[in-house]
Amino acid sequence: MARGDAEFVEFARAASARLVHAAFLMTGDHHQAEDAAQTALVRTYASWSRIHDDDAYGYARRTLVNHLVDRWRRPMREYPTDEVPEQRGADVADDVTTRRWLVTILGALSPRERAIVVLRYYFDLPEAQVARELAVSVGTVKSTSSRALEKLRTAAPRTVDEEARR
Amino acid sequence: MSELDRLRHAMRATERPDAMLDLDTVMRAGRRLRIRRRVAGGGAATLVAGVVAVAAVAVGASGPGAPAPTGSAPPVAVAPPSGGRMPSSLASPSREATPPPTIARGVPGPKPLGQVVDTGVKHGTDRRVYYFVRVTVPGQPKVTMGLAAGRRAPDGTVGTDILVNDVEGADRSPGFHQIGYDESSSAAAAPTFGYFVGPAERIIGTVDGRQIDARLSRWSMDKQVVIFWFDPATLTPGERLDGIVARDRDGRRL
Repeated sequence: MARGDAEFVEFARAASARLVHAAFLMTGDHHQAEDAAQTALVRTYASWSRIHDDDAYGYARRTLVNHLVDRWRRPMREYPTDEVPEQRGADVADDVTTRRWLVTILGALSPRERAIVVLRYYFDLPEAQVARELAVSVGTVKSTSSRALEKLRTAAPRTVDEEARR
Repeated sequence: MSELDRLRHAMRATERPDAMLDLDTVMRAGRRLRIRRRVAGGGAATLVAGVVAVAAVAVGASGPGAPAPTGSAPPVAVAPPSGGRMPSSLASPSREATPPPTIARGVPGPKPLGQVVDTGVKHGTDRRVYYFVRVTVPGQPKVTMGLAAGRRAPDGTVGTDILVNDVEGADRSPGFHQIGYDESSSAAAAPTFGYFVGPAERIIGTVDGRQIDARLSRWSMDKQVVIFWFDPATLTPGERLDGIVARDRDGRRL
């Protein structure tokens, strides 16, 4: 395996899980998430000679998010409980509840709002970087983020109450 | 715990660290994409013009504070015709493909045919411009012009950075012609550009799933010729397009 390929494999192994999960947060669907993460990695590998010394993870993340924002036109789907991984044993019930809460509140957002929420609060990127990655202004990021959080507040009470009653 | 903290916690708590993709499949597809991009970089021109190639001329490497060299292109520097698809090295204007520049501020470049299009893009005190110039290609009487990316200095002089032209077929054949990519790392890198022959009202490039509208300007000498370029804020100069389409006023693909 060429040196560049070995570096890519190492990078992809380290980055796959987060990319897939970010895509899941943006789609609510594991199959779509894996497809999107794979697409991002394919494009990253295609450009590897140009980017591997730079910020490969950032490149893959930008590719993933833009790919999803551009392609989605459908709302998020409810997460099917029969796909919940079982390896976490006693935590499965917690996982199911948390995932349902997550999917419900993220499902109330538009694709771009979801992208901003995921970039800001999952990847912990500063507003200016989110703006660059989505090719929008910082003001748009602030206003969209604020609107998204307001939606979360209005969408959350019932599910939070349900969680509190567990 | 606030909703935001709860959200952050939930997004992390539901990660599946075992998620792993088939990297063999990823790399196979990546190699195919890499090859496609190389061919596409050769342009869209292959879609309609058969064969085109780049006559790359001086790429001025100055920043705003540099001695301000201005590429003054020779009348034409033409890559040899190839049979159908050109090698990628011809597809992109680059320093490697650049003949020794004759650089001098104040020495006029090739005389523009028609009006010079001012893009409004600034490089220090210079402004990015595009314009056609006359070229001659041995054995190709229907190739008489190429599109140049240049810079206009405050004193009005225009220097050429990159020139792209067909090397086979006809330079006015309908459709896309050569796409010009500036792969220099100069701060004054030319935005990706080209021209389309036909009633295009929109030209849309695709890269990494993003669709990017090009800016358009009709050529003063032939309104069927549409000069386009991509704002460097939305498409980094030198970044290869995955695809490009033109649409008419009704949104139909041309």
